[in-house]
Amino acid sequence: MSYSKQATYKRLMSLLSIENRKSSRPRFVLRRHLNKLRWVVLSVIFALLILLPFLHLYQTYLAAYGYDLLDADKKFIFQTMEELTSPFTDNPVEDLDNIKGTTWTGTLFGLKMSDPLAVVGHIASTLTIHWPLVLTAFIPVLLSLVFGRFYCGWICPATLIYELNYKLGSWLHKAGVKIGQRRFDLRLKYWVLASGALISIPTGAVVFANIYPPAIIGREIYYAIALGGFGAGAVFFLLTLGFDLLVARRGFCRYVCPGGALYSLLGRYRLLRIKRNATQCDDCHKCNSACQFGLDPMRDDFGQECNNCTACIAVCPTDTLEFTASFKDVEFQGPGHLGHRYKKMQQQQLTGKERAE
Amino acid sequence: MKRRGFIKNFVRYMAVLVSGTIPYFLSYLLAPSVKATPQTRIPLPGALADIDEFNQACIRCGACGEVCPPQCIQFRDYDGRHSLNTPYINPENKGCILCGKCMEVCPTDALSVTPITKVRMGIAQIDRAACYPWVDKGICGACVSACPLHSKAIKFDFANIYRPVIQKGCVGCGQCVEVCPHPSLAIRIVEPTQSTVTTHKASASGQRALPF
Repeated sequence: MSYSKQATYKRLMSLLSIENRKSSRPRFVLRRHLNKLRWVVLSVIFALLILLPFLHLYQTYLAAYGYDLLDADKKFIFQTMEELTSPFTDNPVEDLDNIKGTTWTGTLFGLKMSDPLAVVGHIASTLTIHWPLVLTAFIPVLLSLVFGRFYCGWICPATLIYELNYKLGSWLHKAGVKIGQRRFDLRLKYWVLASGALISIPTGAVVFANIYPPAIIGREIYYAIALGGFGAGAVFFLLTLGFDLLVARRGFCRYVCPGGALYSLLGRYRLLRIKRNATQCDDCHKCNSACQFGLDPMRDDFGQECNNCTACIAVCPTDTLEFTASFKDVEFQGPGHLGHRYKKMQQQQLTGKERAE
Repeated sequence: MKRRGFIKNFVRYMAVLVSGTIPYFLSYLLAPSVKATPQTRIPLPGALADIDEFNQACIRCGACGEVCPPQCIQFRDYDGRHSLNTPYINPENKGCILCGKCMEVCPTDALSVTPITKVRMGIAQIDRAACYPWVDKGICGACVSACPLHSKAIKFDFANIYRPVIQKGCVGCGQCVEVCPHPSLAIRIVEPTQSTVTTHKASASGQRALPF
């Protein structure tokens, strides 16, 4: 269809007001809304981490038949938890044990699941392989072999706080406050992982548990609610928030986190990747500024660092970015169809074809 | 002269008095007190026997604390032994009820499922100079009624039915420590190797505890 024919066709369509109706109602693209879904998932997991210690308290009160001896605030906890759980269970003392633990290691309806980093730490400190523990990490490992570093974006309870911290940093930046914008080598976290495993051998302790934010958060929320006070880990977590704000943006996840390093290694040859269609892309660079990990989707090298947060897909105005099943990233495609270089390349191809003919 | 005689006599009487205490010191030397330090941080039921091995195996997930019905499991602060965030039980605060939920939930080999008679958390020791029935200051029996293992772990003395005596089956759960009404806690949990159960049993069956 030549240009003039196309123009007449469009004019005809606009006269018939078919094209207009279509453009006024943009079609629903599911992958554009995955980022919202991710926020819902993160919030639900964080809310569960707060709810579980309260449920535990409710169980202990029930097991002791001690309602009459409780203080007023504890009675309030008892009544709230009773209202929450009564539609689901008749025997809370036993049934509420089905959901226990944190994202470090937990039980979900009889299915025990652990962080692969816990397994690595256990193997490093004891120098033996305890198969029941290794098997609990089977499902997370399998999922991260397919989806890559998805745990960091979709499950990790620290991610919620780190992303809010990132937003806070953006607001401060807009308000004129100087925030840390340093960049380090992304391979730093693999050294943290290796040194953590090495330190575990002589000290005889799983040192990852002391510096891994999801483990810290799960533990500290329980300490604060059930045992009445934060432990030492809360201070470390606050320090990481300060590091993110003052030194490097999302710095802990990108450069330090040993769990992120392990998931990155597992997801190196992952199946599900984000791909950019250069023919559709109009070089707006919104995806680059949306990526909190600083991965530059415009350069097409997501690599093993991408945590599938889908923020770039959500901001893309032309639905250019999409998921593909492939073991390799697309090589650098150059700028999109509006870029001068892209046009030049197209022309060169055309002229080359013409010459060949 | 009078004063001199008085000093002489005074010194003599004092010497007699001091020498009179020698048998007490001798008896003290012959029957040294057992150096059993009461434990305020006892290991969990089914835990690995060596504390260092336990620290290695524990991944600090806190799952044992989250399932504990009496909420007796607490977590260590830094104490210089690489045991940060590992669980312990303080029986003076709350004792273990031996329900076994922590052994089931533990994802590692730090806690392994053990029948409650095979658990070795420690062993109870009664201070016979403080316990009310043992010093004849009334009748109590709180520890005996609180014991989850009943007559395997603690019994009343055969001769005096109000005096509690620890048996060999005691696993050291600490329920007795929790309920003991004595202000200084007349019953404590000590390490299993430091128990004085045998000497207690000897005195209970009529033999003398002292070697002479």
